[in-house]
Amino acid sequence: MVVYTLLLSISFLFFGIILILVGATRWRRLAGLGRRVILTGGGTGGHVNPALAIAEGIKNREQETQFLYVGVRGKAETVIVGKAGYPLRYVSSEGFPGLRPSLRTLRFVVRLGFGVLQSIWILFRFAPQWIVATGGYVSAPIIVATIILKTLRIAPTRIFLHEQNSVPGQLNAVLGKWVDKVLLTFPQTLSFFPRNGVVVGYPIRTSIVPRPREIALKNLPFTVSNGRQVVFAFGGSQGARTINRALVDALPHLIPHRDRLFIVHGMGLASSEGYNAVADTEGRLQRMITPEQRNLLDEFYYRQDYFHNIADVYSISDLVVCRSGAGSLNEISRLGIPALLIPKANLPGDHQVMNARAMKCGGAAELLFEDTILENGVVLEKLEGRLLADRILRLLGDRERLHRMAQRSTQFLRKQAVERILSELYEDHSFDNGIGYHAEPFKPLLSNNRLLQLLSRAYQRSPEQYDPVVVVGDAADVVYYRHRAAGLLSHKMWQDRNLGVKLIGYTRYHEKIPTLLHMLSDRTPAGRIQRFFGGDFAEVGFIRRNIVAALQVLNQIDPDIEASLLKAFEDPYFEVRAQVCRAVVHFGPLLVKRDQWFEAMKNGINDRCFEVVVEAAKAMGEIGDDARAAGELLNLKEHHFWQVRDAALKGLGRLVDRDIIIPSPSLLSHINSFILTATDFRPHFSIKETYRCLQNSCNQKLGAGREELDPRSFSEHLARKR
Amino acid sequence: MIYEICNWLISVSDSFSFFRLVNYITFRAILAALTAVIFVFLFSRPFILFMHRRSLLDQVRETGVHSAFEKTGTPTMGGVLIIGGVLSSMILWGNWKNPFLLSSLAGMLWFGGLGFWDDLSKIRKRSGDLGISEKTKLALQGLFALVFAGFCAGPLTPLGDGLATKLFVPFYKYPIGDMGPLLYGLFVFLFLIFVSNAVNITDGLDGLAITPSLFVVGVLGVFAYVEGNRIYSAYLYYPYLRNAGELTIFGAAFVGAGLAFLWYNAYPAQIFMGDTGSLAIGGTMAVASVLLKQEMLFPLLGGLFIAEAVSSQIQDKIGVKWLGRRIFYRAPLHHNLQHMGIAETKVVIRLWVLAGILALVSLATLKLR
Repeated sequence: MVVYTLLLSISFLFFGIILILVGATRWRRLAGLGRRVILTGGGTGGHVNPALAIAEGIKNREQETQFLYVGVRGKAETVIVGKAGYPLRYVSSEGFPGLRPSLRTLRFVVRLGFGVLQSIWILFRFAPQWIVATGGYVSAPIIVATIILKTLRIAPTRIFLHEQNSVPGQLNAVLGKWVDKVLLTFPQTLSFFPRNGVVVGYPIRTSIVPRPREIALKNLPFTVSNGRQVVFAFGGSQGARTINRALVDALPHLIPHRDRLFIVHGMGLASSEGYNAVADTEGRLQRMITPEQRNLLDEFYYRQDYFHNIADVYSISDLVVCRSGAGSLNEISRLGIPALLIPKANLPGDHQVMNARAMKCGGAAELLFEDTILENGVVLEKLEGRLLADRILRLLGDRERLHRMAQRSTQFLRKQAVERILSELYEDHSFDNGIGYHAEPFKPLLSNNRLLQLLSRAYQRSPEQYDPVVVVGDAADVVYYRHRAAGLLSHKMWQDRNLGVKLIGYTRYHEKIPTLLHMLSDRTPAGRIQRFFGGDFAEVGFIRRNIVAALQVLNQIDPDIEASLLKAFEDPYFEVRAQVCRAVVHFGPLLVKRDQWFEAMKNGINDRCFEVVVEAAKAMGEIGDDARAAGELLNLKEHHFWQVRDAALKGLGRLVDRDIIIPSPSLLSHINSFILTATDFRPHFSIKETYRCLQNSCNQKLGAGREELDPRSFSEHLARKR
Repeated sequence: MIYEICNWLISVSDSFSFFRLVNYITFRAILAALTAVIFVFLFSRPFILFMHRRSLLDQVRETGVHSAFEKTGTPTMGGVLIIGGVLSSMILWGNWKNPFLLSSLAGMLWFGGLGFWDDLSKIRKRSGDLGISEKTKLALQGLFALVFAGFCAGPLTPLGDGLATKLFVPFYKYPIGDMGPLLYGLFVFLFLIFVSNAVNITDGLDGLAITPSLFVVGVLGVFAYVEGNRIYSAYLYYPYLRNAGELTIFGAAFVGAGLAFLWYNAYPAQIFMGDTGSLAIGGTMAVASVLLKQEMLFPLLGGLFIAEAVSSQIQDKIGVKWLGRRIFYRAPLHHNLQHMGIAETKVVIRLWVLAGILALVSLATLKLR
């Protein structure tokens, strides 16, 4: 049996080697005959179209080039590639599920492994000279297979990977290190591929070109009278729910300006159970727009599910409202249209936000962020219609700005990307790619935890001068962080909601205060097992405590907030009550002379948790406005906990400072009767303090020396030399 | 070593007969304790100086307690001194062929070595939170526990036939049942891991871990003396464990080393025992109580350690991670007391008092059965 297995495996090995040798020889022979290129990449049109654009370019230069497209069955490439007339082969692959090991990881490994075997077979059959990959998991198997064959020195193939987004996808980021060249769309991405990255731009198919307005209008099913500004709103080929709904909501606000506007709406082709773009939009139109308004709509509003001749619509548009996928941005930039971008939030690596930021930095676009909300138990992205209408009107009103944005838009992305790419493929420097071009340093967005750390430290350093915009350094980023934090509030895990609450506080997202107050008073019970172990509500104790703390950071008080704080003071969890007392200290002057607060703090002083008593006593010192407060505090003179007695003395001190009570012999005798023995003390290590003094004075002298002594001696030195 | 030499001399000539003294456990116990004391006293100051010079110092850890900050920069890994004291004393005074002694020493060294690695990696990474990973630590503790459980329940057991898996409880003379080797193995496994980590958690304030563990090991030493003595064990209705008396000597050396360590570790500490010390002490206590069939006495005898570990686990795993609220003000127990406004020294002494009372109650179980 053993001998049999051994023989079998040896013969397999032998035949394998022979096959490989034959394959490699055939490969080299075929390579000499003519150009053979494998195109790969897909999943969405955004990955397929650039590959086809590059193929068009190669074909224009070398007519007899043979192409083979490798994709995954049932994805966008199935339709588009077939129409373009390239032969198509399928491999198996799957999206990268993340690093955490799970069943999906196993499936990913199995599928990818099988895909790599299929790819090796395809590679041997087709024997390509170039692999042009446009990313997405679809191109992973063929790239991995080629890298393997290259390392074994079997395949004389060069791999080119085109990255469309400003943040590379996970698979691209890994595979990009091994391929011959990474062709980039955004200069900011160079920092991810310092060794083999080249900025070329985004290849666009030849059909997208600007046309004169009259010709474009002739091709379109609607007419626009001269003098009207055209706004084209769409959410990609599939449509975007946020944009569709927000646009419908915005229409009533736009009606007053109908004589100078024309809105073109591409609703999108999506028709899955989750979202049917056309049905949803029509339904919303019925609900949101009154019949009278609807008659007015026809004057300035045209909608269609999908525009096959999108270049014509672009050509007549003065402003585009859309998502910030790489494809859309590049089309806009090629035609030089100003854009109002609504990036899709919560994507891996936030790449739509990054793309949009890049375009905004180039001065070619404005940003609006969608909000994540919980509506009837469903998590939804939402954008206020009024907000969208305002932004559109403001942009259209400022023609000079629009013109400037249009100019910047044409300059934003590298033109002639196909030529640039061909120059890299043929290595003939037929196009100057701007060698020596230095990318501006890429400033990535912070993760939620990093952001929290940064902001909370800044707040603790100086609460009075705290401003999140100064700390983050960019107002638009803060806006995005706010939206991201708000998105966390609708997560299922309490840890995420807790993080969201903290971030809303530290980013000072005042508009979310009502949500926070609602969460604070939410009394949905926790699960039965949790309650058995001491849990109470679905919005757990930490969340409620942090909401109160966040309200303090938000530094805003109105009757609603005050009422919620008062209610929160009856919370079953002691930390919430203690935090309310701290908030009372913070808002102190604004809460003086309110009987309900005095009563609340009086109850706090009798609380069963000493932490609450301590904070309540301090708060009493801030809001007390007559002798009753002093009486309450003096009652604490024999309290068991020294911290409580300490806090009572502090409170009395504040009352004296604020001239609520006037020092008198009787007051002094009351204070004298406080029990002053304590079970705690602060150790005081003399040697450590001496050391710190010495260190400080050394540092000061050192600092002074650097600023004053060094330059002078240096200039003297120079003068003497002359 | 001295034990072997003396016995050899006795066998050679009658004129060395006064060396028979070494066959008395009490005599060797006292000398072992003194040896350990002298060892720790001799080496502590050079060791502390050495740690300062190589800057092998304790790293900041986020505990949320004020005094923790003032303490960074104290040398750590003082457990090396305790282990060194016990080991040198045992080399001199121990009976090297005694299985009780050998397995206790093995436990001490294994857990001590594990803690040493943890301490070193914390210092290397300049953070008190980044030692070796929780999983690696548990796996290595579990590995020893598995081998030890197999040793106890298997054919090599130093206890009598079938005695190992019997279950004894305090205040009751007879075994209440037989757990069977599998269940017993699992029990020993969990017991070892739990106890060693409990001491690790307790070791949070100056002198807090060392003194209660001296009480525990001292009481276990007394139990070892009784159980290893045919007459006393018969009188007090304990199973007679041949050779178990050697653990008295081990315990005495441990108490000696610990006392001397306390000299330097008392508030404000000049050196911390680190994970090296706390894991070694935990491992030793766990192994010794299993060998003496006092596993069920430990929750009473080492009640302080249990309270610390349980409070810390409840707060962290049930409260903070799952329910999203604090169950105690702070955890473990000693931080809670500090938070309630009791100074570190006072917390430590109060917990010593509690541990002492628990030790006395446990001693009472010798007769009250």
